[in-house]
This record gives sequence, C-alpha cells and structure tokens, in this order.
Amino acid sequence: MKFGKRLKQQIQETLPGWRDKFLSYKELKKLVRSISSAPTLLNGSFEYGRAEEEFVYLLNNEIEKFNAFFVEQEEDFVIRNKELQQRIQRVIDKWGPNGNHPSETDYKEEMAKIRKDIVDFHGEMVLLVNYSNVNYTGLAKILKKYDKRTGGLLRLPFIQKVLQQPFFTTDLISKLVKQCESTIDAVFPVEDEEKTREAREAIIVAGEGIFRNTVAALQSMQEIRRGSSTYGHFSLPPLNLPDSELIQSVQLNSPIPIV
Amino acid sequence: MGAGAVSSSFPVFASPLDDKYSKYPDSFQVSSGRELVTNSISTQASALVSNGNIDGHLLTPPSPGFPNFSTVSPHGRLPQNSQFISQSSTDGASFPPNHSSHQDLQSPVLINQYEVSHIPWCTDTLQDLLDFPDNVPVQTGQVESATGVITSEDHTRRNDWQWADGLISELDTDWNELPDVNVVDPISEQTQIHQQPPVTSAEFRSVANTLSTAPPTKSRMRWTPELHEAFVEAVNKLGGSEHATPKGVKNLMNVEGLTIYHVKSHLQKYRTARHKPESSSEGTSEKNFTSIEEAKSADIKTSFGITEALRLQMELQKRLHEQLEIQKKLQLQIELQGQYLQEMFETHKKIEDGKSKTSTSALDDPSVPLSYAIADVKAETLKLDQPKAGIGASNANPTPEEGFWDISQEQRAHEPGDGESNASPTKRARTDQTGDIIN
Repeated sequence: MKFGKRLKQQIQETLPGWRDKFLSYKELKKLVRSISSAPTLLNGSFEYGRAEEEFVYLLNNEIEKFNAFFVEQEEDFVIRNKELQQRIQRVIDKWGPNGNHPSETDYKEEMAKIRKDIVDFHGEMVLLVNYSNVNYTGLAKILKKYDKRTGGLLRLPFIQKVLQQPFFTTDLISKLVKQCESTIDAVFPVEDEEKTREAREAIIVAGEGIFRNTVAALQSMQEIRRGSSTYGHFSLPPLNLPDSELIQSVQLNSPIPIV
Repeated sequence: MGAGAVSSSFPVFASPLDDKYSKYPDSFQVSSGRELVTNSISTQASALVSNGNIDGHLLTPPSPGFPNFSTVSPHGRLPQNSQFISQSSTDGASFPPNHSSHQDLQSPVLINQYEVSHIPWCTDTLQDLLDFPDNVPVQTGQVESATGVITSEDHTRRNDWQWADGLISELDTDWNELPDVNVVDPISEQTQIHQQPPVTSAEFRSVANTLSTAPPTKSRMRWTPELHEAFVEAVNKLGGSEHATPKGVKNLMNVEGLTIYHVKSHLQKYRTARHKPESSSEGTSEKNFTSIEEAKSADIKTSFGITEALRLQMELQKRLHEQLEIQKKLQLQIELQGQYLQEMFETHKKIEDGKSKTSTSALDDPSVPLSYAIADVKAETLKLDQPKAGIGASNANPTPEEGFWDISQEQRAHEPGDGESNASPTKRARTDQTGDIIN
C-alpha cells in the first residue's frame, strides 16, 4: 500500500506532461486481486491461463507506454544537450579572448540564464531516470504480488525481459547527466559559504517544477526503502542519504497554492 | 500440456482481445527473438508471420503470454538483428530496381535496419555486423520479394518486422509501386485462413492505417549524441534547419535503417528546440510551470541571489541521481541472483525428477547464503548451462528459450500430476523465496 501511495504522490508532483505516463499500479493491483479471488483458479486451468494472458497483455501495454515516452524524452534530451553545449560555447566565445567583450551586466545575465537552464536540464534528465526507476519498481512489485496471490511463476522471467527494455536502459541519460554536472562546475562561480546557508533556509518557499519533483522523488525513495513487512534477503537496503537532514529540511509544505 | 492448454484457449482468446483491439495502441510490439514460445503458439504465429512483415508485428498482441516489447534495446539489438542482416545483403539484388538513384541505397536499406541502433554504440558498424555470420541460419527463399518475407520457423525473425517496417516506409516514400501491394495482399489472403478471423480483419485495418495514415515509426529509433551529430551535420550541409528536407537529410546521413519518418520527427523536434532556446521542447505544459517557477524564484532572487538556489537545486538533483544509480545496480543484482537461484533450483529439480528425493534436501533450506558473491552470480549462471544441456530438459533454461507462459503452464502442470507431493509445496515455497525481491 505504501508504494501505491508514494507513487501517487510522485505523479502529483511530477511535471504535468508526465502524469499519465506512469504505471497504472492501482489498476493492476485490482486486477491481481480479482484474479486471485476468482473461484475457478485451478492450476493449469483454462481460466487461469486466460487471466494470466490478460494480465500480461496489460503489462505489455504499460511497458510499451514507458518505452515510447522514455525514448521520446531521451531524444529531446539529446537534442537539447547539443543546443545547450552550443549555446555555452557561443557565450564563452563572446566573452573569451577573441570576443568583443560586451558589457558586464549582459554577461551576468547570460550566465545566469545559462546556469538556470543547465540546472533545469539536469533536473529533468534526473527525473526521467527516476521515472524509469519508479516504473520498474512498480512492475517488480506488481509481479511479485501476482505470483504471490495466484501462485504463478510469472515474475522472474518477465522481469528479465523488462530489464532489457529501452525504458530501463538509462545509461545514455545518466551519461548526459554526468556531463551536465561537469559543465555546471565549470559554469558556476566558486561557492560562497554564507550565501549557501541562506539559500538553504530560504528554499522552503521554493515552488514547484523540477525542484519540488526532485525532493518528492528523494523522499519517496527513502520511504520505500525504509523497510516493510516483506523485507527479506532480496529487498533493497534502506536508503543511505548523506545529508538526509537536508531533504527533511526542504519540506514541501508550501503555503503557496499550486495554480 | 502447455501446448494443449494454449490451443484450447485460442478461440476464447479471440473474443476478449477483440474489443481490446480498438484500445490496442497501434504500437509496434516485437517480441524479443529468442524468448518466443511454445510450439503451438509458434506454429500459429509463424504461419502468420510468413505472410508478411507488417502483419506479423501487429499479430503478436493476441498471442498469449508473449512479452511483446519492442526490441529496441541498446545492447541487445545486434545479435538478433545481425542474423537477418547478412542474409538480406545477399538478397539485395532481388529488390526491384526501379529507381536507379536508389539502387545504391537498396542493399543498405535492407541490411541496416539494425545498424541504426548500432551506430551510436560502436564505430565499426559494418565490421561488427559482418562478424556475425554464425548467427545466420540459412533460410533460403526468405527474402524473395520486396516484401522480404520472414519465414516462420525462426522466431528471432520477429525483429525483422522492424526492418520491414522501415522498408515499407521506404517504399511509401520512394517507390509507389508493387512492393506495397505485394506486402498487403498476401497478408489479407493468408491471415483469413487463420484461427482468429475477427482478429485478423482488425489487424488488417490497422495495417492499412499504418500504411496510409499514421507514420509507421513504430520501429522506434533511439537517438544518441553521435547520431544526432551526424544529423546536425547533414542539416547544416543542407542549409540549416529551415531549408533541410527530411529526405535530403536522410540520404546525406546514410544511416542504415533510418527511415524518413525518423528523420522527419527528429527534424521537427530540432526545429522546435532551436526556436525556443530558453525553454524545453515540451510545449505549453512546460511553459506553465516554468513561469510559476520563475515567479517563485523571484522571491529567492531578491534575498540572496539565484545562483545559490540553483546550487542547492543542483545538489539535490545530483543526490537523487546518485541514489537512482545505486538503486538500479542493486535491483539488477537482485534479479541476477534470483535468476541464478531459479536456474539452480530447476537444475536440481531435474536431477531429482530422475532420481531419488534426497537431492532436494539441499534446496529445502531457503536461506541460500547470499555470500554467493554478486560478482560470481553471472559466472555460476553460465556454468549451470552445461549441466542443463546434459539433462536436456527443455525448461531448464526458462528465460532465453521459452515464453514464461509456457513455463507457468508446465510447472503448474507438474504439480497435480507428480507423485512427488513433497516437492510441490517445497517448490512453491522455494519459488516464493526466489520471487521475493524489492519490497
């Protein structure tokens, strides 16, 4: 139950265009429940076979949905990545040794814009990786439930296939994320201790969008891995966030209503 | 048992899936090659497949238990695809040489549907492709006409539908002739013979749709930075994003398997991204939240500078990403572990089936030591392949060779039939254990 709630929360916090791209966890759970409570569920029976096929069919649809969305987003990111790089290059050239040195304020403005864009870009990509993970986790859970409830043996082989799906293979995105991180370091000025502290305090009023989504995702992950009744050898260990107090402090109880 | 259950379920299957058909996303679902299925399913499916590519991929959905995922996965792409590649290269000549200008492209088009994905990942694409000669089972007469029909027996050919898809779209744009007709007619003819007439007619409609209305970009293209680079280069050579045409870009790029639809949609995205450099290419929804975010950040800006807020945001994002990577690694390891244990279990069960029950005692202990170092899991899984071969059980290696549908059927079938009443509850407990994963 916890996962379902967490998933719902994440969907709520997520970028608007993404809301209907997540796993229909609740519906699938209902299906599993109805399958397991059906009277004629004998092993090897005809009805069971059909029920399982329906279940698999739905799962396939979900996976197809993930794949389509993921690959499309990935494509967008690849394009934007290049554009961003080019933009940075242009700015560097303009204010570099060969440039014509336009005004200082222009530079600051440009840099500020670029920084924001890079950070947002980074954030969106990370959220896509999160999207992939959340859906995978949901699939794994629903499969486990299915096996448990119906005595089926669907999970293991099915999951193996999921592992090969485009939406799960996030290597490229992760690579772009890391690239972004190194770019950011080059583009950001040296950290000012005092200002950073102030930022952290004031960030409580931060609004939505990527930032909010990111925090929600981290919190979710932490919660999900806190441990549960079915914790066992094969469960993920609790999340070990170095500065989890940071996350705690960034509570999303914004008084500003979400328009 | 499995076969029996499947075939009996078919007629019934037609109906529930019938109405699902309208809902069925007209998406391209190709089962990953080797995982395909029981004989009964396969013979049916293969009969369907042999008649036409387009039809093939649309038919997979009703097939029970098929994991119908599109096969565009980065690492798994090649092995299955390459089989077809060398094949088609030899048959390239059979392609109707209608347009001389396209003649050069014909073979590459046929061959390289899969190279598309391959290109970004390796530099020596052709080399690598040609290195897979062993994977090509000789299927004479397979690529006979423009339709490039895939023969039945080999299920790995399902990936070829992607090829066909790409081919069809090629045909659509470049040649307005026979090829299309050939493709479509045999399908309608033959599929009607089939077990599921209502299904096939629905499929045929979708086929027609695919050909006429919706762009058949169901062969999903995974754009990588390298591929995009090539794209940008081509666009620039052709005068920039405004002047470059999809066809021109496609030809210039000369990437095998890249269809004009891929290029078209990519070009569109590219143009959008260039015209709105500040925001993302997500469209209005993006804009909405960006403006809200800006309003909020205005508060922060006044107090201490946006840079610090951004830094914080960046920190969090980095953190999340780190954790995601770790989590994914763990999930993978868990699955590998689970798979290994499952195979081990199966192996032992085979032994047990043949001999006494004493061998199960070792497996009765559910707390298999996790000290099987994760690193060793793979090695040991490989080792298990040998004894399995010796035992010769067909479902000893469930994942690669059979559909899980089949496994479920068979394994469930074992229980009532077996005299090993002990084994059954043990097995159930066992599989629950192995099935236990991420909470």
